[in-house]
Amino acid sequence: MIKINNVSKHFANETAIDYADLTFEKGKSYMLLGASGCGKSTLLNMIAGILSPECGTIEIAGEDMTKKSQKEKDRFRIQKIGYIFQDFKLIPEMTVMDNIAILRLEKVDISETDKVLDSLGILDKKNKKVKHLSGGEKQRVAIARAIVKKPEIILADEPTGNLNFAIGEAVIKQLIEVSEGKTLIAVTHDERLGKYFDHIIDMNQVTGGRRDV
Amino acid sequence: MFKFAFKNMAIKKAKIILIVISIVISACVGILAYNISEQVDSGFKTTAAYYDMIIGPSGSSTQLAMNTMFFTDKPLGTISYEYVEKLQKDTRVNKVVPFTMGDSYNGAKIVGTTADFLEGKEIDEGEMYSEKFQCVIGSAVAEKYGLSLGSTLVTSHGLTEGGHAHEGNPLTVVGILSETKTAYDNVIFTPCETVWATHEHSDDESEEAHADEQKETTDEHSHTSEDAHAHEETEDAREEHAEVCAILVKSKSFNAYSQLSAEYGENSKLLVINPSEVLREVLENVDMSTQIVYILCIIILIMNIFIISVITLLNMYDSKKEIALMRLIGIGMNKINLVYIIQNGIIGFISTILAFICSRLCLMLMGGYVASMGIVLDTAKIYPLEIAIMAVVFVISVLPTVVCTLNMSKRDGINE
Repeated sequence: MIKINNVSKHFANETAIDYADLTFEKGKSYMLLGASGCGKSTLLNMIAGILSPECGTIEIAGEDMTKKSQKEKDRFRIQKIGYIFQDFKLIPEMTVMDNIAILRLEKVDISETDKVLDSLGILDKKNKKVKHLSGGEKQRVAIARAIVKKPEIILADEPTGNLNFAIGEAVIKQLIEVSEGKTLIAVTHDERLGKYFDHIIDMNQVTGGRRDV
Repeated sequence: MFKFAFKNMAIKKAKIILIVISIVISACVGILAYNISEQVDSGFKTTAAYYDMIIGPSGSSTQLAMNTMFFTDKPLGTISYEYVEKLQKDTRVNKVVPFTMGDSYNGAKIVGTTADFLEGKEIDEGEMYSEKFQCVIGSAVAEKYGLSLGSTLVTSHGLTEGGHAHEGNPLTVVGILSETKTAYDNVIFTPCETVWATHEHSDDESEEAHADEQKETTDEHSHTSEDAHAHEETEDAREEHAEVCAILVKSKSFNAYSQLSAEYGENSKLLVINPSEVLREVLENVDMSTQIVYILCIIILIMNIFIISVITLLNMYDSKKEIALMRLIGIGMNKINLVYIIQNGIIGFISTILAFICSRLCLMLMGGYVASMGIVLDTAKIYPLEIAIMAVVFVISVLPTVVCTLNMSKRDGINE
């Protein structure tokens, strides 16, 4: 379970986003909707330990993430969180396998890579360089890298942002499938995909947008 | 970790090849300059150390030393063979070796000397000369002119091609020296008597050519024992007036050397040198050139520190995205630092090894050139300072990455 309490994040001491309290339960999928700049991606980054809030607490399985050092947050992220980035965050010159094998640097078990790639329909692309893949294939590689380590939480920042609706829908369906039993929090602008999630959260209401500091 | 470092290097092949070439060139120049200067230095000293005194006609000390030890340049002139005989009788002397030079065969210099001069040199085929007009040739001479045992060669006057040919006195090859990769390979050795006889005959030939021709036709089959005796006497008379270009002396002790040096040094017609001292002076001049090479090497190394640092920094700058990506998925900064340090360590190691290999290849290539000075470059010879240069080069190639990654660790790539 993830609990967000009185969290506020400042940006260059000029603007800030204040979050209303939120709870994300294990085994459920959440879709975060909202206008650009309302703090959707920021929330994912704070849960992942990439950003730290100025105040408030972010509890994951009873542990306050804000109290952890950056090293501990990194460790937590590599072990427990599967993060799918909007722009994939893949190394284009490397193969699909090499991009996944990066996780080995932190001794993450990637023995089920073939199974995961197969379930996503890109096993045949395993030894292809990422730069030669289509947008949809790249997104699947990003999903594969996020889920191969069997994380407890999956965060997806606009996983369909670069894809057309049909492919985006297929990707979301796959994401829901592989997230079974885990907490899935996905940011998307496309309301049509809401039907696949357990909960839809309107972030405009949660944060009220940015305010000047 | 290593696997990922190699994969990461593989995607930046062009840049890495540039870095490697840059390091290899600078390190190779440094290693090579040091190795050659050391080997030439010790080669000079070893060659010069065997004889403690060379006596020749007055003139340039360097010319006398270089001509006698390395067969370079022309002889200073000649001195009487009587000095050789006098020294041979001297109890303070261990060894006396006469040395004459003045003829050549297709440009290969002919040295008239005793078998002692070739002591320590291995004869590959045949044997050492024992009679006049016999010769032992260097391996390169044999190969270049297709000479073998029993071959005869007509020498010519002077040390360069095109001199007056001594057609009446061909030399017979009785031995071929093993390859030494020194100046000995390019020289023909014969007894001093050959040189004297050749020149006596040569002089006679020009003066008595016609008279001899007539006489030979009439007296061809009428040689008597009296004639033979008269001929021997003439030979003795010739040796009495024989001359040599230099005398190499190995005295029994330093005291003996000092006395002999002082005695013969008093004679204004003679030049007495200690080859080690003369060559040390030559080396001091060479040392200046070596120092210039060292300074150039240091400049190249400093330039390379700069170039390698800039390339590494640019490389790391290019890697910022990659590092940020790894940070985002949760790879710790320590691991990332380690990957890049390993990566540059591999580049540094490979470059250093390649530089060493290149330096040895260059040594092999330059061996022939230096051999003409009588010095064999040993490619297997490794000096401690060469290892130190390689270590410095390795550190230089890794250091910028360490500085860069430490700097990034402070800022943490996650915010890049």
